[in-house]
Amino acid sequence: MGLTGLEIFKQLPKTNCKDCGQPTCLAFAMQLASGKASLDQCPHVSDAAKEALDSASAPPVALVKVGKGAKEVALGNETVLFRHDKRFEHPTGIAISVSDTDSDIPAKVAEINKLVFDRVGQIHSVNLVAVANASGDAAKFAEAAKAVQDNTEFPLVLISEDPAAMEKALEVAGDNNPLICGANASNLEAMVELAKKYDAPVVIKGADLNELADLVQKAGYKKLFLDSGAREVNKVLADQTQIRRQALKKFRPFGYPTITFADNPDPIQAVVDAGVYIAKYAGIVVLNTADPADVLPLITLRLNIYTDPQKPIAVESKLYEVGNPGPNAPVFVTTNFSLTYFCVQGDIEAGRIDAYILPVDTDGISVLTGWAAGKFTPEKITEMVNETGIADKVSHKKLIIPGGVAVLSGKLQELSGWEVLVGPRESAGIPSFIKQRWNA
Amino acid sequence: MILIGERINGMFKDIREAIQNKDPEPVRYWAKRQYEMCASYLDVNTGPTVEAADQPAVMEWLVKTAQEAAPLPCCIDSTNPDAIEAGLKVHKGKAMINSTTADQFKMDIYIPMAAKYNAAIIGLAMNEKGVPKSASDRIALAMEIVVNCDMHGVPMEDLYIDPLMLPCNVAQEHGVEVLETLRQIKTLADPAPRTTMGLSNSSQRCTNRHLINRTFLIMSMACGLDSAIADVDDEELLDAVAAANILLNKDIYCDSFLKTFRSK
Repeated sequence: MGLTGLEIFKQLPKTNCKDCGQPTCLAFAMQLASGKASLDQCPHVSDAAKEALDSASAPPVALVKVGKGAKEVALGNETVLFRHDKRFEHPTGIAISVSDTDSDIPAKVAEINKLVFDRVGQIHSVNLVAVANASGDAAKFAEAAKAVQDNTEFPLVLISEDPAAMEKALEVAGDNNPLICGANASNLEAMVELAKKYDAPVVIKGADLNELADLVQKAGYKKLFLDSGAREVNKVLADQTQIRRQALKKFRPFGYPTITFADNPDPIQAVVDAGVYIAKYAGIVVLNTADPADVLPLITLRLNIYTDPQKPIAVESKLYEVGNPGPNAPVFVTTNFSLTYFCVQGDIEAGRIDAYILPVDTDGISVLTGWAAGKFTPEKITEMVNETGIADKVSHKKLIIPGGVAVLSGKLQELSGWEVLVGPRESAGIPSFIKQRWNA
Repeated sequence: MILIGERINGMFKDIREAIQNKDPEPVRYWAKRQYEMCASYLDVNTGPTVEAADQPAVMEWLVKTAQEAAPLPCCIDSTNPDAIEAGLKVHKGKAMINSTTADQFKMDIYIPMAAKYNAAIIGLAMNEKGVPKSASDRIALAMEIVVNCDMHGVPMEDLYIDPLMLPCNVAQEHGVEVLETLRQIKTLADPAPRTTMGLSNSSQRCTNRHLINRTFLIMSMACGLDSAIADVDDEELLDAVAAANILLNKDIYCDSFLKTFRSK
């Protein structure tokens, strides 16, 4: 994003010396804002001003990476408060925590490794393993970090506020770009030194937003995650909102992704809290539970929240069953636009009809749009009928197409060799259509 | 779109006579009428026939009378700083000062006044030398106003830059420059200053004035116009604004958008 004339003018020396070739500093600022001049034409601009102008042109939330290789997690680069304004860019990283007092760490990590789920044809999983220094013992912490690292490919979050313990753990795990969690008012210097040594990201935790802003400015380091120190969900919500809001207004100290902790002892409460954090700007959310039943809804919510609202959402183009369809069940053809598919599916289900649905891949656009764009054609429908092997599942050879594309029926019948019934224009008419017309 | 009703102005015969006779009825009528027709502000102007020395008292009377008749803030319109301050003193709510130019001696009077009374202010992109021709000269003057407002702590949301539209029959080449100026004003600061214009200027002594006004208003809205001083007693103008709000994704569409716009 370009800088505004006012932002630039405030950083200029205001001498009106004309050395830049412009009559006034204000005129020079305007030239800079419109890209017709460059800052080095002014011999009097200070280094501080140069840096301020550079950082003002940086994105509002920095991109910070944790881990290395295929499982690396990148967070930040967000540009909006509400997803419908554009989209949320980098899905919240989900971390599951392990304590260095746990008796069988490899077993616990093995459970975490299994938190991989298939959602709408894609694989989604948790992203990080957090190691907590609950023992307070440096050697134990390092040992736990090693045990975790040896048993998972996920990047690590090292949780300890003791620099000595962190140093030990980093000797083991520092080369893999773990997240150091973290620095606070009392250990800031030591922790930031460690982060610099390993070139790893570090969490800065303030007692409140004011202290957080101060500490970030003192840190003099740019690979940061923010923690406002709040732990009650209402306070975290308020702080997360402020941090994102101020970052978008280019308040540099808050221009970093955040970390949140959903550690309520009641697992249901923890999941609900984590849901709030995922919806409200958390970069990382740390959970204590590795129970798939707790994690699956969060993975699903994250997937939904971080989809691009400008792109139509598609369902996987494959054969779907509604109820318990037998060989006599009707076969409905539609498109894979999720709104379209779920309308059809919902109306079939509401009519208590056991049926098959074939959503043709139209790149996720509706029946009439797909027809107009040449993506919902007799050829494509025929191809899908052949590929899904629906002929082996039913004893009849009848397809039902949406009433809106009745004109396709002749050609489709010819190409596919199936009898084509033209259904109602609206899927709400399917139940009465079936009653009157279906006798396979 | 923030519509500023233009009608309480001594240039109009009925208001001029109302001021002369101290008859509040025409002022009340137009305050209520413009309120019903979706105005967000009432422009109040004594007109040039009132002696300079009498302008503060007349302005005070106009503001009080208008605000008693309609629950709207006023856009206090005068070239006389005493008249403006007199209006601000009796004004209830957040007033708007109409206007300052980019001349330093004027900005030094009006911008601190806006800060003191927490009022919005209209800044004209012109100076003593007159109205600049090109968009870039207009923008340079607008920037002067932006910097002065920033210096006095007047927030950008309270600054309304008027790029100055001139009548299209005699200054036709200014129209495209005004539109370009509107686009560029939004890049001056973040948050951006707001924009306004004296819409009826565009059609002075032209035929089909309403058509010209509303066409230019819609073109300007597409370029980022936030507000206009206009004839709100023009149903077709309101319809066009309602439609433009929909097309610019400012209001959520519904079939009865014309009605919804008026009920706001």
